[in-house]
This record gives sequence, structure tokens and C-alpha cells, in this order.
Amino acid sequence: MPTTTASAVCTTVGNNILLRLTSGERDVKLKALRELKNQIIGNRTKKLSFLKLGAVPAVAGILSDAVSAVDVADNDENDRIVKDIIVQSAAVLGSFACGFEAGVRAVLDAGADILIQRGCLVEEMPLLKSYMEVVDAGARSLKMIYQSKMAPKYDFLQEENMEFLLSLLNNESENVSGLGASIISHSCKTSLEQKLLFDAGVLKRLTSLLGGSLIQRDASLESIATIFKNNPEVVSQFVGPDTGRTLSCIIEIVKDRFARTRLLASLCLIVIRNASPCYLQDVGIKTKLINNLLELLDDPGRVGDEASFAFSSLIAEKEDMQKLAFEVNGVDKLYNHLQKGSLHPRRFEGILLALADMCSKLECCRSRCLSLQVLKLVVDALAHDSSDVRSAACMCLRSVSRSIKNLSAGSFMNETIVIPLVRLLDDTSTAVQVAALGAISNIVVDFTTRRSTFIRLGGVKLLVQLSKSMDSTIRLNALRALRNLIFLAEDKCKEEIFMELTASLLASLICDPEPSVQEQALALVRNLVDGRINSVEYIFAEDGIILDAVGRQLRIASKAEIEIQGMYVLGNVATGKESHKEAVMDQLLLRAENKAQSCIIKFLQSNDSRLRTAAVWAVLNLTCSSSPGSSGRLVKLHDAGIVSHVKNMVNDPCLDVKLRVKTALEQFNSFDDSLV
Amino acid sequence: AHSEESSPPICSLLTVGQAFSGTQNVSNLQKEEAWRVNVRIQGCDLEHGYLCGTMEALNVPMADTPVVTFWEGEIVDAKNYTFYTGKWEATPEDDIRHWTKFPSFAPLLSRVEADGGKSLDLSNYPYIFMRWKEQYFVNVGTDCGLTIAGFYYVCFSCSDGSINGFYYDPNS
Repeated sequence: MPTTTASAVCTTVGNNILLRLTSGERDVKLKALRELKNQIIGNRTKKLSFLKLGAVPAVAGILSDAVSAVDVADNDENDRIVKDIIVQSAAVLGSFACGFEAGVRAVLDAGADILIQRGCLVEEMPLLKSYMEVVDAGARSLKMIYQSKMAPKYDFLQEENMEFLLSLLNNESENVSGLGASIISHSCKTSLEQKLLFDAGVLKRLTSLLGGSLIQRDASLESIATIFKNNPEVVSQFVGPDTGRTLSCIIEIVKDRFARTRLLASLCLIVIRNASPCYLQDVGIKTKLINNLLELLDDPGRVGDEASFAFSSLIAEKEDMQKLAFEVNGVDKLYNHLQKGSLHPRRFEGILLALADMCSKLECCRSRCLSLQVLKLVVDALAHDSSDVRSAACMCLRSVSRSIKNLSAGSFMNETIVIPLVRLLDDTSTAVQVAALGAISNIVVDFTTRRSTFIRLGGVKLLVQLSKSMDSTIRLNALRALRNLIFLAEDKCKEEIFMELTASLLASLICDPEPSVQEQALALVRNLVDGRINSVEYIFAEDGIILDAVGRQLRIASKAEIEIQGMYVLGNVATGKESHKEAVMDQLLLRAENKAQSCIIKFLQSNDSRLRTAAVWAVLNLTCSSSPGSSGRLVKLHDAGIVSHVKNMVNDPCLDVKLRVKTALEQFNSFDDSLV
Repeated sequence: AHSEESSPPICSLLTVGQAFSGTQNVSNLQKEEAWRVNVRIQGCDLEHGYLCGTMEALNVPMADTPVVTFWEGEIVDAKNYTFYTGKWEATPEDDIRHWTKFPSFAPLLSRVEADGGKSLDLSNYPYIFMRWKEQYFVNVGTDCGLTIAGFYYVCFSCSDGSINGFYYDPNS
């Protein structure tokens, strides 16, 4: 005889439970609720089955009826059953929402969150408020809902909401105060909200909760971190007689026996330190934090996964922290975890990013990574299924390849690394493409002939294609990679790259809507025309559209970085033949609309010494004594008022500018004296 | 621009990609040689007082091709590095003896003897002092008969980009 399938049995049981939920008899309903709760607790599959059967709206309906029934207090027995129904239905709804996004959606759609809040927690139910079980059940359920990103945003700006929140925080029950803390962790996003909460005095209560139960401690740590995150103003107002106590309390908790609590305490301190670096300066505390997080990597679960992300936020952009971490063998410890293999993607991503941060500024970290053969594992990760891991591997490679010593030795420009990297330029994820471009930008910086490997493997075609992307971040990063590739490139390489790029594409990128793209395009042209005199010819291709674009940008740009690159382009072209120098003169003396002076005068007067330097270099190159046309150019520069401006810079505060001006004046003097 | 006021100035002649040509003279009782040398700057991190690049020596008698080495430099900036080497078997006396060979060092001598030059304000001094140490051979083996055990005391002129240096190797 064939037996029925498991799912058929489940549906039968399920339908039976749901049927009994609709019973008019409260006892039957209560029993059905309990059974449902036991079926679904910790069981995702069952949650999904019951969801499909419409359990959530059914239970929400029961809760709603029960809450209404409270007003009609006829006898103790009925009170008890009504209370139990409210507790069980709240528990069922909370369970559906626990770690199950579809469940959260269903609960919110049924308006159950509001029901629970009103039914279990609000002041107007004094009868029920005396039943702590109801309050607790409601709080537990709402906390589960608030752990989801989909939970509704709590409006702290409403006064009654703030009061309610404070009443939750001040409640003795760990579930209720925990709910208050969860609401803060979930919904407090803006600096205004952070300030409101701070001004309402929640920190005092949260601090006292640090000494409470495990649940209260963890919830409080998360909330404190949320209030301080990226808000130096709130952190600075934190200064007061209580500060030392709270901080030392949290520092103590870093040693807690529970891993999750240790992690949360560390995160809290990191948030405070990142918002206001004057706190937690002590080397001992910094080292303690670093060691704590490195140890937490040993935790096999979620805590271990997240520990590396916390580590990154502690050391990112901070050389002193990276140095400390290096001194306690941070690189080795991270590598040991990487070596374990079969890592959960989140953990893998976190460790790769942590290594990327370690190697971002310090050569000692990069050297250590390379000697440990980290590269092999990183290269393998470039082909990982998870796009986050692929991205993180690229970032790690980008950091390590900042080592010029190893770049020069050819450690990166080989097929093992280049082939998988180039493949990522075609990745389905934009973030991965951008990260790969970052790594490639470093690896193609080559002072020998190795860059031909990259060209041979089709890298240039892909980069040029990406420089035409609709996404400006991709265009920008592709251009940066091309700029670095063409830096000090041999003639043959330059030719290959230019043929792929074309003059018209370059000219249009120089006039790109994004200023940062314009800057990279100009820097690319600067590198293109640098070197042998015949390189200068590139800028005159297709009737000089590139040179015209450069001149045009110089006349209208307002961003110093663009002006600097543009001036160096002209300065480089001015090292060419007479015709090249004359072409630069034409561009410089052309005036923008409504402008009385040549743009170079504006640059010579700039507050930015780099721009003044670039401008003087152009003048120097145009008037060098060995060129036959220099005296004629000097006359034109003089008539345009440029020479007198240069003369006025003889005591420029920037030594580099001053020395170039000195050379320029010596050059001017070598011509007809009457001009100067 | 970097924030440290007393560090040597940025100089556009000493930046990544810049190339220099000159000669390295070896002169002692046994021989007199002049190798043509090309230097290329590959890395420059003023914040950390770090410089690096390659040196190519041409017409080296014992080599049949030009010999290229990769070197790393320490910039004397009173923040990261002082005039005293403190390693590579160079004593303070060796240091002073070599720095004094550069005429541009003369005005700084007394302060350097007093405190290694830690209190010097080099931000407007038109010379940059460095130590360059070769790290590895780029294109030949270590059995090429050449040594990179020592290091160079280097002086760079911000005005005209000229570089002068003296090699020091107590064992050579």
C-alpha cells in the first residue's frame, strides 16, 4: 500500500490546526495556538508551509479579538484564557518573524506589529499591563520583528513615541528594555535622531543595562554604538562625570566570557574611537582591541565571521593601528585562517578585506603577505562563486601591489595573476569590475617591458571598452588603469594602446561630464605625450582634436586637479619641436569667453602651489634658450602679461615654484634685456 | 603638499618617473673606472621619507650587459630619518665624514653634530639628503662579481636636479 507523502501529512496537520484556530471555543483555539507554536519554532520549512496556508492573518485576527475581549472583564477564568491567547498568538507571530524574512513581511502586512504593540504594551490596558507574561511575550515578539531590516522605521521625532521608548527602556523586564534597545539599533539612522536620543537621556539607562543580564548587555552595546556612530558631536557631548565610568565599563566587557558580547563591546569602542579619535588613545587599549578581534576569528559561527569586519573598521586608514596589528602578528593570524579552506563566503570576504586594510599603507605588511604566499590564496579567490569574495580578493591584491619593490621585481605581472584578473573585467557585478580595475591599475605600473603580457592577454581592449561605460565609476577606474599602463611605456606599446583608444575617444573623455573622469583622461594624455619627442605627435592626431579638447578644458575648468594635469600636458608638448611649441602658445593665448586674461595667468596666481609649479614649467619649456623660436614666444608671453606675473613670483613661498621661477628668469635674461 | 613643516620641500625634479644620467667613479690604488649610470625614480612617499628606483650601470668591466639594480632610499627629513644612519655598519663618524663631502652640507654641520639634525628646519633648504641602498639585481645574478652590500650617501639639488653621491661599504 502506498503511503502518503510527508508534505501531504504536513498539510493535513496544518489544515487541522488552522481549522481549530477558527473555533469559537477559546480552549480549542488556545490549544491550537500552542501546537502551531511548537510546530514552527526553529523550523523554516514549517514556517513556510503554514505561511502558505494563511496562518499569519488568522493568528493576527485571533490576537485582535483577544485584545478587544480584554475590555469585557467578566470573570478571572476568562481573563486568564484571554491573557493566554494573547501571549500565545504574540509568541506565534514573533516566531514567524524570527530570522525568516517572508514571515516578517507577512506579519507586517497583517498589521500584527501594531496590534502587538497596542495589545501588549500600551498604557491603556492597565488590566493586561499587570500581567508581565503578556508584556514580555509582546516585547519578545516585537524584538524579533525589529531585528529584520524590513521592520517599520520608528519615528523618534514624535514625542509620544519617544516617551513610549523611554518607558520600554526603563522597564525592569529584560525583554521589554531589550525591545527598547532593539528599536534604537534598528531605527536610529540620522545624526538628528542620534542627538534626540542622546538629549532624551537614553545613554544613562543604556549604561546601567550594561550591568544587567546577557540580553540587556548585548542589546545595550548595540544601541550605544548606534547612537555614537559617525557622530563626533554626540560623542564629544558624552564628556562628563559619567564618561570614564561608561567607557571603562565597556572596556571591561571586552573580556566577557561570551564571544558575541566581546564582539559587540569591541564594536562599540571602535565606533566611539572612529567618531572621536581623542578617546581610547592608550596603546594598551588599542592592542587589547586588536588582540580581542584576532582571537574572535577563532569562533566558528557568525561572531567569527563578523570579527574580521570589525577588525577592518578598527584599522582602516589608520597607520598606527595597522602597525600595532602587525606587531602582534596580525598578518600571520589572518593568513592562518585563510589557509583553513572551505570558508563560509562571509568569513572569506572579511579576512580578505582585513588583509587588504593591513597592507594598505605599510610595506612591512605587504612583504609579510608575500613571504607567506598569501597571493596564491588570493588569486584562487578571484574565481570564487561569491561576488563579494571576488571583490575582496581584488582589493587585497590592490593593497599588496602597492609594493613598488615587488612590482619592480615582476611579482605581479605574470599570467597566473593577470589572466583571472582580466577575466573579472567582464564580471556580472559592477562592484567586482571596479575592484578588479583597482588592482589592475597598480599591476600595470611597470618599469620594464612586462606590460606586454597584459596587452597580449587582451587587457587593453577590455579597458578601452570599459572606458566607454555608461557607469562613470567604471569609466573613471578604467581610465586610471590605462593611464598607469601608458606611464613610461615603450613606443610600440603606446602605439598599440593609442590605436585601440583613438583620438576621438580621448577627446570626448577629456570633455566627459564627470570632472574626475576628465582629470584621468588628461593624466593619460600627459603620460602619452611624455617621453620621446615623437610621442608628442599623438596629441595632433585627427586634426589636433585632443589638443583642442585640452585647451578648452583648461579655459573652463575650476577644479585644480584638472588644471594641473592639463598644464602638464601642455608643458610636455612644449618640449617638442618648434611647431609643437607654437601650438601650445596658440592654446595658451586663446582666451575663454568673458575672460580678459589667458588662463595661465589665473594658474600662476593660484593658491595651489602644484598648479603654480605646472604653469611655470610650461613657460620654462616654451622659452628654453636652445630653441630658435623662443625669443619670439617670449615677446608674445610678455605682451600677454605672463612674463611680468612670473617675475612677481620670484619670492614665492613654495620653494619648488621659487626655484623654477629663478630658472625661468635666467632664461628670460638670456634673450633681449629690454623685454624684462 | 605634506603637513610636516620642517621636512624637505617637494621638488618636481624628484618625482616618480624622473630619470637621471651621470657617472659613477671608482678610484683607488688598483684602478680607476668610470661607469655610466642611469637612475630612474620609481616610488616616492615623502610622508614616510621613502624613495625607490633603479640604477643602471653601463660599461661595467666585469659585466657584458648593463647591470640594473633596484634601490630604496631614506630621505633625511628629521621626522623619519636623521643624518645618522644607525645601521649598515656606518658609525656617526662615518656619517659626518661622508656628508661633509657635500659642500651644501657645510651650513648644517654644527646642528647635525649637536643632535643629528633633529631640530633642523629643512623645508626651505634647496638640497635633499638621502641614503640609497640597493636591494637586488634586476637583470643579472648575484654571481655577476658586483657587490650591493654598501649604500650611497646622496645629495640632490632642488635647483637643477643634479645628484651627487658617495658609496660606502666597509667591506669592499
